[in-house]
Amino acid sequence: MGPLSFPAREDSKLEYSNPEIPEGINTSKTHPLKEFLWLTGGVMAAIFALVLILILFADVITSYIPFSVEQNITFSGVEASTEEGPLPEYLQSLADRIVRAEDLPEDMKITIHYLDDETVNAFATLGGHIFFFRGLLEKLPNENALAMLMAHEIAHIKHRHPIRSLGRGVIVGLALSVISTAAGDAIIESFLGKTGYLTILKYNRDMESQADETAIQALNSIYGHLGGADELFKILKEEAGRLEPPVFFSTHPLTENRLYEIKIHTEKHPAHDVTDITPLPQEFEKWVEEKEEEKTISL
Amino acid sequence: MIDLGVFLTLLALGYGFGRYAELKHYKSIIQREKELNILPAIAARTPPMISKACDCNLVTGNVVISVDYFKRFISVLRNIVGGRITSYETLIDRARREAILRMKQQAHEMGAKQVFNIKFETASIYKGKRQQVGSVEVLAYGTAIIPSQGG
Amino acid sequence: MMITNIEIVPGKRITKHMGLVQGSSVRAKHVGRDIMAGLKNIFGGELKGYTELLQDSREEAVKRMVAQAEAVGANAVLNVRFSTSSIAAGAAELFAYGTAVTLEDM
Repeated sequence: MGPLSFPAREDSKLEYSNPEIPEGINTSKTHPLKEFLWLTGGVMAAIFALVLILILFADVITSYIPFSVEQNITFSGVEASTEEGPLPEYLQSLADRIVRAEDLPEDMKITIHYLDDETVNAFATLGGHIFFFRGLLEKLPNENALAMLMAHEIAHIKHRHPIRSLGRGVIVGLALSVISTAAGDAIIESFLGKTGYLTILKYNRDMESQADETAIQALNSIYGHLGGADELFKILKEEAGRLEPPVFFSTHPLTENRLYEIKIHTEKHPAHDVTDITPLPQEFEKWVEEKEEEKTISL
Repeated sequence: MIDLGVFLTLLALGYGFGRYAELKHYKSIIQREKELNILPAIAARTPPMISKACDCNLVTGNVVISVDYFKRFISVLRNIVGGRITSYETLIDRARREAILRMKQQAHEMGAKQVFNIKFETASIYKGKRQQVGSVEVLAYGTAIIPSQGG
Repeated sequence: MMITNIEIVPGKRITKHMGLVQGSSVRAKHVGRDIMAGLKNIFGGELKGYTELLQDSREEAVKRMVAQAEAVGANAVLNVRFSTSSIAAGAAELFAYGTAVTLEDM
């Protein structure tokens, strides 16, 4: 920089003008909604694809985990719940019949547990353990419905759904949390989480449908018909009431669709008359009732 | 489900109000820029060397403009994909022009003929644990050249 | 006191340099304003509360710089610059600095 001296010339001839600058040079003309649609659509598609790949990846990994590893994962309190008595024995004998019908591998041992709770539910978990809640057992009208329920849960074990869901959950959850941390915003975190979750739900529904399909085949081979099996879904439908969420947000396929599947199969293999439907043992209700007084199992 | 509803509502509110505010702001900016066009704002460091005495005065104009939910959502998605964040381009453009206008307005009220050596200072304001509050401040300042009384 | 961000003032001559003078101000807005700002973050638009806050703080910073200049006996501050930095969540420092000089008419 030169010395701080004044320029020699007078600036009277210097003109300062102020022309207008046209709009839109520093800004983009893209309509924000268009941008929004492209971005959300693109990112959601990418997340769906990513989660799909991760799910396949998780399935490959979990398929290398032998069933015996699952069995070694013990739950505290689980052993205590397999007591002697007519109900566990009856349930176990039914389970054994279904195991044969579904053609489970030799090493897959099914253990039935009974939970003294109002919840209208049943679930299968790691290591071939299946849990039935009193709330659901109480409502079952015949053996066919119970067998449908049990065959469905055993089918989950057969297709190794519990360990696969666990693997998927861990791998997809990890990947999404890494991405959302990198993106670093609370909004995106929930957006990614939701998109990923919806994708997982889709595959959950596929698992349920697969279990239903196997169960239907098993029931057919045991009883020769599917009469009475639909009672199970009628109970579940009643339980869900009118509050069943839209299919995209649901862990299970719509009960309507499940009933429809059964109906189609029943038409192929109809029960000849009502007597074809196997009743539950006479004391079944009593067994379930009696259980109430016994200890509850803590998991 | 409820989450999704809240999210979509916020997005719609952000888009509706944000876009309305933006269009209104641009309209006002363009109009005021025309009005203040008589006052040149110049980035040159030194004023013309007139021998006549004149007054100099520092003039400033600042504005803090907030993002809206919609703009922010677009920007975080852009953060994943990369590329031009169009939703923030208009935000910062509005802030800069508004700051200049406020500075010019101040100079105009002093009776200035030009504003020299214009400088900008831009700061992003974030608040909250997860930076929930996001906005940008632009300060424009310069020296107003005011012809001396009777000069 | 003349405050300007140019280095040479038309029609005046610098007779003495007094070095750097500076003023700063650190402020935060009360939580009510922050809640309003949080709401504005959904709808967009100007955060008038923050605009005022920053303007007031800057004025204070300039006032402090002028006080320094007066203390050293200057009659003008040239080449004034502003600087903004956030020193903690919710607190901002506004800083003004310039050269203190004495000017006289040519």
